[in-house]
Amino acid sequence: MRFSKAIIPIALCIMVLSLAAPAQKRKGRAAKPRQPVAVVSPINTDALKTLLTQEREHPLLVNFWATFCDPCRDEFPDLVQIDRDYRPQNLEFVTVSLDDVSEIKNEVPKFLDSMKATMPAYLLDALDPEPAINLVDPKWRGDLPATYLYNEKGEVVYKHIGRVNTAELREAIEKVVKKGEKN
Amino acid sequence: MKTRNLSMLLASLFVIAGAIFASGARAESKVPPPPAIGATIEDFTLPDADNKERSLKSLAGPKGTVLLFIAVQCPVSNAYNERMEKLAQEYKAKGIAVIGINSNVAENADAVKAHASENKLSFIILKDPGNKIADKLGATVTPEAYFLDANNKLLYHGRIDNARNPAQLETSDLRNALDAALAGKAIEKTEAKAFGCSIKRA
Repeated sequence: MRFSKAIIPIALCIMVLSLAAPAQKRKGRAAKPRQPVAVVSPINTDALKTLLTQEREHPLLVNFWATFCDPCRDEFPDLVQIDRDYRPQNLEFVTVSLDDVSEIKNEVPKFLDSMKATMPAYLLDALDPEPAINLVDPKWRGDLPATYLYNEKGEVVYKHIGRVNTAELREAIEKVVKKGEKN
Repeated sequence: MKTRNLSMLLASLFVIAGAIFASGARAESKVPPPPAIGATIEDFTLPDADNKERSLKSLAGPKGTVLLFIAVQCPVSNAYNERMEKLAQEYKAKGIAVIGINSNVAENADAVKAHASENKLSFIILKDPGNKIADKLGATVTPEAYFLDANNKLLYHGRIDNARNPAQLETSDLRNALDAALAGKAIEKTEAKAFGCSIKRA
């Protein structure tokens, strides 16, 4: 009887310790900084020009953004949803970050991961952003976000500076993806 | 009772619709275009970080004035703190005043004051409630510069230089404009696109 009385607290201690040990291991793993999954590729001004102006099989949506831009972060979940909804209808969608190049493996992929964004992601790799801004649109003053929709010929069919109006953007996409289907 | 419930429901819907419309209108609002190079900027008055009203006329330099739209929280604007301070010090001695303007709705006078103190910004910073001056000048981002001559004629508008990272500096557009004006020469590049964080308007 005495033995059984003594064994109960010991058994309880062993149980508690055995439960606590994996928990500590889990904590240890969580403390290690996780590498971002999203891959962000550098794009220079010439490559951006090629991307935007070349003839392509499908319409192209381009979102210029930065992690320090609040309206960019705000609209991003809508854009991720648009990508999910229209990629099956052959909409190509790429994002171009105007963050500092030092963020290419840090804040930019971390944010894309947090948004579960899977569209191709670029970061403008240019000492001077002005030529890139001018080639995208001479009327664009470089304020973010900026969203451009190009048809298959590389012509701008919709643009919006500032947080997108999702319904308006979807309407514009519907027109080009439907047009694409007819062709 | 039913009528009361119905009217309350309608009132609630009206309020919700109003809120949606108002937020949509803000998101869609267009920033007025900036004045053309050569246009004269009218005198204006704004409160400083101590809530003391200051006029452009009272702060202008004898050889011109630089208006710098800046922010407390924007990393791009903050990357320029040291450069802006240096510019203000150097050109004050040459007769050009630098005035900071904070038009961000969420950054109050206390935040502006604390930020200036932490970053050792000695030039005056004005608060722009309701972003009236940002609208008047068509300012969209921070940092964004406007250089006015002694008669408040706009000589240069745009970025301070090409690079957020000072190690990548190639073109000091604002300095080039100031130097040309001080030397009595024509400014080669009167506009350069400013790049930074959007001004958070009211």
